[in-house]
Amino acid sequence: MPKAVKIKNSTDKGIVEMLGGLLQSDKIKGVFTLKKMNESGAVAYSLITEVDELEKAVPFYPFMPMNAGRALSTFTLDGETQEPIAAVLRPCEIRAFIELVKRAQGSLENFLLISPVCAGVFPLKSLADGSLEKNLSRYWESVENAALDPNTRETCQSCEDFIPVHADMTIVTVGAKNLEEGCIVILNTKKAEEFASGVTGQTVSEETETEGTEKLKKLRREWKETVFEEFERNGVGQAALIKTFAACLGCHACSHACPICYCTFCDFDSKTCEYQPVSFHSELEQKGGLKVPPGNIFFHLGRMAHMAVSCVRCGMCSDVCPVGIPVASVFSRVGDSLQEVFEYIPGRNVEEPVPSGTYKEQEFVEIGEQ
Amino acid sequence: MKSAKTIPADRGLSHAIIDLFKQALFKKSFDALLIPVKIPETEAYSWVLLNEESLLDKAVPLPPVMPNQGGNALSHVTKHGNLNLKIAALMRPCEIRAVVELQKLKQIDLENITLISIDCPGAAPLSDYMADPEKIEKSYGILLEDWESQDILRPVCQICEKFSVSVSSISSPEEMPSEETPTTPFSSDLHIGLLGGNGKEIYAIPLTSKGEELLSNLDLESRESIEEWESGVREIQKKKIMERDKFNTTWTERLSGTDKFIDAFDRCINCHNCMRVCPVCYCRQCYFDSRTLRLSPQEMLTRAGQRGALRFPLDTILFHLGRMSHMVLSCVSCGACEDACPMSIPVAQIFTTVGDRMQKDFHYMPGRNREEILPLQDFLEDEWHEVETPRETGESSAGEAEKNA
Amino acid sequence: MNSDSFPKIIGFLCNWCSYTGADLAGTARMKIPPAIRVVRVMCSGRIDPLFVLRAYLKGADGIMMMGCHPGDCHYQKGNYNARRRYVMLDSILGTLGLERERFGLWWVSASEAPRYAQATKDFTERIEEMGPNPLRDEIFL
Repeated sequence: MPKAVKIKNSTDKGIVEMLGGLLQSDKIKGVFTLKKMNESGAVAYSLITEVDELEKAVPFYPFMPMNAGRALSTFTLDGETQEPIAAVLRPCEIRAFIELVKRAQGSLENFLLISPVCAGVFPLKSLADGSLEKNLSRYWESVENAALDPNTRETCQSCEDFIPVHADMTIVTVGAKNLEEGCIVILNTKKAEEFASGVTGQTVSEETETEGTEKLKKLRREWKETVFEEFERNGVGQAALIKTFAACLGCHACSHACPICYCTFCDFDSKTCEYQPVSFHSELEQKGGLKVPPGNIFFHLGRMAHMAVSCVRCGMCSDVCPVGIPVASVFSRVGDSLQEVFEYIPGRNVEEPVPSGTYKEQEFVEIGEQ
Repeated sequence: MKSAKTIPADRGLSHAIIDLFKQALFKKSFDALLIPVKIPETEAYSWVLLNEESLLDKAVPLPPVMPNQGGNALSHVTKHGNLNLKIAALMRPCEIRAVVELQKLKQIDLENITLISIDCPGAAPLSDYMADPEKIEKSYGILLEDWESQDILRPVCQICEKFSVSVSSISSPEEMPSEETPTTPFSSDLHIGLLGGNGKEIYAIPLTSKGEELLSNLDLESRESIEEWESGVREIQKKKIMERDKFNTTWTERLSGTDKFIDAFDRCINCHNCMRVCPVCYCRQCYFDSRTLRLSPQEMLTRAGQRGALRFPLDTILFHLGRMSHMVLSCVSCGACEDACPMSIPVAQIFTTVGDRMQKDFHYMPGRNREEILPLQDFLEDEWHEVETPRETGESSAGEAEKNA
Repeated sequence: MNSDSFPKIIGFLCNWCSYTGADLAGTARMKIPPAIRVVRVMCSGRIDPLFVLRAYLKGADGIMMMGCHPGDCHYQKGNYNARRRYVMLDSILGTLGLERERFGLWWVSASEAPRYAQATKDFTERIEEMGPNPLRDEIFL
């Protein structure tokens, strides 16, 4: 059974206490986590270097203003961080970061990665419309009862990968009673043990996978199957795809919010994917009309071809869509099937190459010989 | 004054306009039309470039929302060269003004394009429409008839007095409108007047020779004077100007001071949606997405150390102020930015407050006139002497900004 | 209505094996369906999935990808990448119900003229049975 530390404080405060201690003792030079901005209720990721500022930290606030994997990639794009930094990320954010590291878009060096067993986050609009605050206590109840919370993102409700991988420390949440009184930090790595050595707390033994996590996994899987069936009924086929993306204005907000879509200059923002006069002419002649801007479905299918294999189903894309297209539902569905074909789980192992960037000589042998 | 034509509208507004276009298409007054279309079996509106009558049946001249700014749509059509086809584009006045600004910025080629504007009662917020499309469609239908219920509209639409063409521009197209005669896009070729007809007729008002040409072989009655329309427009303009005055007072107060400005963007996640849907923001790669603002991890840590914390994504306020400095002089207050913001930040209202004032200071109105030069691309040797003397300045509160911005 | 002839099948053929094989079929006067429009690429690894998607969305009734047999690639590894890309496309199109039967990958070597003739004949028959690609007339793409 893995070693763990039980801090006598609520989960949120316990972690902040631990991180404050690490910052104070200079064991880390910065903490990357969610922080409350002023009194307005807004929450944003922040790199915190002063213990005072850490008091505003809310590491497990169920909100994802950006995929933090992308933030860590931005942070280490020009090289690894020379100073040790503790970062609190959700499992899908860590996996996104690892997928980016595989693509030479960042470095894992010198990070102390801390991640909760994740019960999901609320959609972006719930902050402005007040529903987040309203449903917050119900959310924490669902966490304790290892239940599905219908107020969280669609992709969260069908996510089975909510137990962190590659995290130095895992924070127990789902199914744990008394989160208000004790914060349990499972130490997965030697690094974690070293960093935790100065922390005031009880040494305990704790499993990452528990009855609670098994229960939630089952519920999530069932919900995923329901969603899949619905998709099979109404979401497949050319006509359905066109209806799904009918309102799309081609703003590309989805790709820019996606942690995996890291290209500074996206193919689909370039000239190659725009129409020359001759294309306008031919479509006017052949069909009598065309959508403007053209190449809408092409953009979405093309983006799938580029990144679906690494889709971590974080759900940022749906949240930023100005016309409410359920991008994440479609992309995560495609991603799931594609990942199954390659027996690949994005972010599970930083050594594992991305399927689209490699091959095996002996595989898919039936293809091409028909 | 160019003679206006009347179009019978007893079967409804949309019908009248679509019938007009069907006639025009048939008689080859243009080769293709850019107009919003409601995609069958969905609630989605999309710009379509069409030359087929059956598609025209699905067209909606004035959708209740404005998902994609017309300026964006038209710029895609001529992005890689003129089509050498006669194209007519029907758009809201703010979209026409955006098109004119884009032409000045060399992003649209207006050769062979006939711009058609239309009296616009405004548009509803996109999020309201998405929540209950039927309700908004119904309310908007009523609004198109009586121009009364302003509360279903976006805030920037409620104060928009530029929803038509100014009467004075009809009588003297070569003159620049004065401070007394508010607004005017005199930048479209043809204008469709909805007001004053009492549901019986609408008006096709040519503003340039291109506009006249489009109407030339169509079966329409001429009308020498369209006073009912003119006075209808003036009446609504007066109301909107009153609302705008109230708006400016409220917002100037809401935004005075660095703290208040920063608070306004508290929730911002730096997704850059506002920039993406803005018609004036045309850059293929935005400065604020580029390498220029990239920092090494050491640099970021140093910045974080200066104030104890560094918000991610970096440079939120810089993005907004920077984007403002790049485009606000051309801001046509179309409201696309506010519609697109996933955090419900009143971007359009903020940019309009600043844009209004700046545009007045430079005696500039974006999109009013195709010949008017963009203020920052021009100068006079004898102007702005008042800024040449340094002012007394107070302590800047920009320091507090960094850790929260 | 898009009155282009039916079927219209785009074939992306690698220069060294499949294109040469197709050429041989031509000089040997084998019957090849006129539906096939060939686009020569230097290697099947050059076939960008976007080419295939673009062809499909523009209304192609069928798309064939062809290359050298595994192990025989003129550039050693290109066809292995092509194979993975085809598998990926097949999965995406299959999941979305976008008629994955309109797509295929064949290994055809430079000497396999009869194989080229047979593959194109069989595939064209399959496409004829399926009918024209409905996207030919689709405006809201």
